[in-house]
Amino acid sequence: MDYVPHDNKEIAEMLAAIGVDSLSNLYQDIPKDLILDQLNLPNGISEPDLLKDLTKLSEKNKQYSTAFIGAGSYFHYIPSLVDFVISRSQFFTAYTPYQAEASQGFLQAIFEYQSAIARLTELDVTNASMYDGASALAEAAIMAAFLTRKKKILLIKGIHPEYVETVKTYCWGRNFEVEEINLDQLEEKVNSEIGGVCFQSPNFFGEIENANEIVTKVKNLNKKTLVIQCMTDPTCLGVLVSPGKTGVDIFVAEGQSFGLPPSFGGPGLGIFATHDKYTRKMPGRLIGLTKEINGDKEGFVLTLQAREQHIRREKATSNICSNQSLCMLSALVYLVSMGKTGLKQIAMQNIQKSYYLKTKLAEISGYQILSNKPTYNEFVVKCSNYQKLKELCKANNILPPLDLTRYYPEMKNCALICVTEQNSKKDIELFLQLAKEAAQAE
Amino acid sequence: MTNNIELIFEKGFSEFPCNFVPSMDIPETQIDQILPKEFIREKINIPDTPEFVIVRHFMNLSEKNHSLDRSIYPLGSCTMKYNPRINEVLCRLPGFTQIHPLQDENEGSLELIHELGMQLCEICGMDAFTLIPSAGAQGELAGILIMKKYFENQGIKKDKIIVPDSAHGTNPASSAMAGFSIIELKSDENGEIPLDQLEFAMQEGDVAGLMLTNPNTLGIFDRNITKITEIVHKYGGLCYYDGANLNPIMGMTRPGDMGFDIIHVNLHKTFSTPHGGGGPGAGPVGVKKHLISHLPCPQIIKEEEQFVCIDEHENSIGRIRSFWGNFGVLVRAYSYIKALGADGLKRAANMSVLNANYIRSQLQPEYDIPYNSQGRFNMHEFVVDAHLPNDVTAEDVAKSLLDRNLYAPTIYFPLIIHQAMMIEPTETESKRELDRFIQAMKDIYQQAREDPSIIKTAPHKTPVGRLDNTLAARKPILRE
Repeated sequence: MDYVPHDNKEIAEMLAAIGVDSLSNLYQDIPKDLILDQLNLPNGISEPDLLKDLTKLSEKNKQYSTAFIGAGSYFHYIPSLVDFVISRSQFFTAYTPYQAEASQGFLQAIFEYQSAIARLTELDVTNASMYDGASALAEAAIMAAFLTRKKKILLIKGIHPEYVETVKTYCWGRNFEVEEINLDQLEEKVNSEIGGVCFQSPNFFGEIENANEIVTKVKNLNKKTLVIQCMTDPTCLGVLVSPGKTGVDIFVAEGQSFGLPPSFGGPGLGIFATHDKYTRKMPGRLIGLTKEINGDKEGFVLTLQAREQHIRREKATSNICSNQSLCMLSALVYLVSMGKTGLKQIAMQNIQKSYYLKTKLAEISGYQILSNKPTYNEFVVKCSNYQKLKELCKANNILPPLDLTRYYPEMKNCALICVTEQNSKKDIELFLQLAKEAAQAE
Repeated sequence: MTNNIELIFEKGFSEFPCNFVPSMDIPETQIDQILPKEFIREKINIPDTPEFVIVRHFMNLSEKNHSLDRSIYPLGSCTMKYNPRINEVLCRLPGFTQIHPLQDENEGSLELIHELGMQLCEICGMDAFTLIPSAGAQGELAGILIMKKYFENQGIKKDKIIVPDSAHGTNPASSAMAGFSIIELKSDENGEIPLDQLEFAMQEGDVAGLMLTNPNTLGIFDRNITKITEIVHKYGGLCYYDGANLNPIMGMTRPGDMGFDIIHVNLHKTFSTPHGGGGPGAGPVGVKKHLISHLPCPQIIKEEEQFVCIDEHENSIGRIRSFWGNFGVLVRAYSYIKALGADGLKRAANMSVLNANYIRSQLQPEYDIPYNSQGRFNMHEFVVDAHLPNDVTAEDVAKSLLDRNLYAPTIYFPLIIHQAMMIEPTETESKRELDRFIQAMKDIYQQAREDPSIIKTAPHKTPVGRLDNTLAARKPILRE
């Protein structure tokens, strides 16, 4: 099946119109010795066979009935209308709205997303999406370095380890320096040579940092250094004070929690928001409101493109071109479907359920909650026997919490537990029961 | 908002029940016992909107959006081919969507990633692929960072990259993000790389290599392709193949065989995954043997029927994003390659070339097609210089196409042609649809001669008339 809608007669007519005898004539520019005989791939297959094969392949992955893992990818409820809206041909088979007049639907949706994120974060300006949270953080770090003309970025411990690695890669590319520091090292490390300080809150271990305090401290040490906050599950903004209120300069997040399934880690979207005064240094697309040239109607266009690669080439703020538009549409539909009431209720359920499990777990001997800072829907627990807990979870069709040695070999027997609105009381009680059993096992 | 625009925020209520929250079944604790007061949010300014109001809002928006399913979408270098519906079903199988990136039992996903990598190796003639990059531009960045790592590891300082003037803007932008400065090479009168100037540039000594789009943005396959890679290699450089235009050569010839060391391909172009209004795409990167260890992490290798993941490697450029990339996009591309197979891929390539040359042959009486001498043919796309009678411009033609229920080609790119219109029909357009496009182009030409005012003020039948880009940039309004 090649989805080509020509029959042989039509092909012959077209060749005649071009004035050649055969298709191979059209390829005369390719040197003869480079022409391939045949690709070493199997022949094509029909749709029903494809469905069978792929279904079988997907079943080699294990799908659990409930999960206690997050760590950058979350199981939240997705309203049915989200997939319905993004499955409209008019959206998913379009491309970047270069021809504005015939693309008002998508352009308005992006404008509404920019507005929705501005409302949620209480920051001024949001771009039309980055690839994911990690690359969004990397781009934010680079933006900070360019804005301040300083070549050093500080990362406060507690940022998702894969995000840290991504920032390091991007900064190495630009020949900028990155240093990881502890929260209590700010006084020692922040000076006039620092372009940006990045922190995650809620951090990778689930702890909610005092963002306002970090901002104040950094600004007191050097007014010009930019403060960048990232987060991996922005549903917390339903209960936590917004980045606009705490005073951070740039806010980035992984937006997968807004209406997208985990899907083995992608696609999600990078949310990127900042203040008006930094707009012209932002990476990514922006949609603006304008008017007709010869009329009174208003409409939307791609704007401030002089920052972007297709105009500025090597001087562009970023090389980003394709982004995560359709995922952005999911996020928009999710946010308006939840509304303030739903967003608050979801955030409350996450924090309440997680707090409930954390409190109950702490009462079981063999489990120690490692931090006394407040947490959102994730927290770290040191287990007397993590392996056993993991085994028992799997045997009961529960996707177990993350083994932190995956990223921190020294954190033996430490689990990063995530509880969302999707975990019912029954799930939580079962998990507690298994935790008890695991601690009692030899 | 105004008389013709109503935003979703205007359609909601200050308070309305939400139907998407599961019942709360655990005892609650006072929130101020969990969180310090200063951490608690006071209010969220997003209205509550009834479900049907939302559905209707987005249905109405969708109807104001032209898409590939409505007509030919001849955006040059974007390869807007049909998005097979089965792929949308397959990527939504719960065994793919409900899988966490950090869970152990992930063999199906790893096998798919590994297999797709092998398929791309065969199609491109490379030795290994990473599927992590989320888009072509991120693939370019990864590819150029691989170059950087390669030379850094050898202790050789090379800080320049050669990019032809016909390149996509992402090429120089990606090179800059990897810390390289650009040497821009002017295409010759045939739209190809002048070999003497390439050699001259390479002789400078600090050139890491060449980044080349082939077929280039004029739709021309460079006849000297092997000589080009030979020259770059002779001076110790690496050759990077921008595979944005891979579609016409699948199954016909392979960049690896031409001598290229690194390639990125766009799954949302060549391999039919939807463009989604701007993304998500995927930009896998392939390399030859000597560069495999520099690929980004994580890498998957197959050892004795087992998949092994390498999360860290001293020679790797590191991570470029979280987890495994846009996995859902990979599922679609894998399905597409399996559905078409060796023959189907080649036929798709051939028909994309047939379609492009067919349109070209029919437009030639009216439209000027530069870089098109000596009876040569184009690959998947071609560029017309749309300077029409009565000063009608490429933009005017584009807007007039919209009035004929067609989408417009890429305009004003490549930059080397003044009134460029870059036309790429792809193989999935029928002759009937190509003829409709051709006729529209001819009608517009005719109208430009006889009554240009209608064209110069087009579009007239779209939801809004021609919009003022200058105003938008001068006084940016980026949210309501």
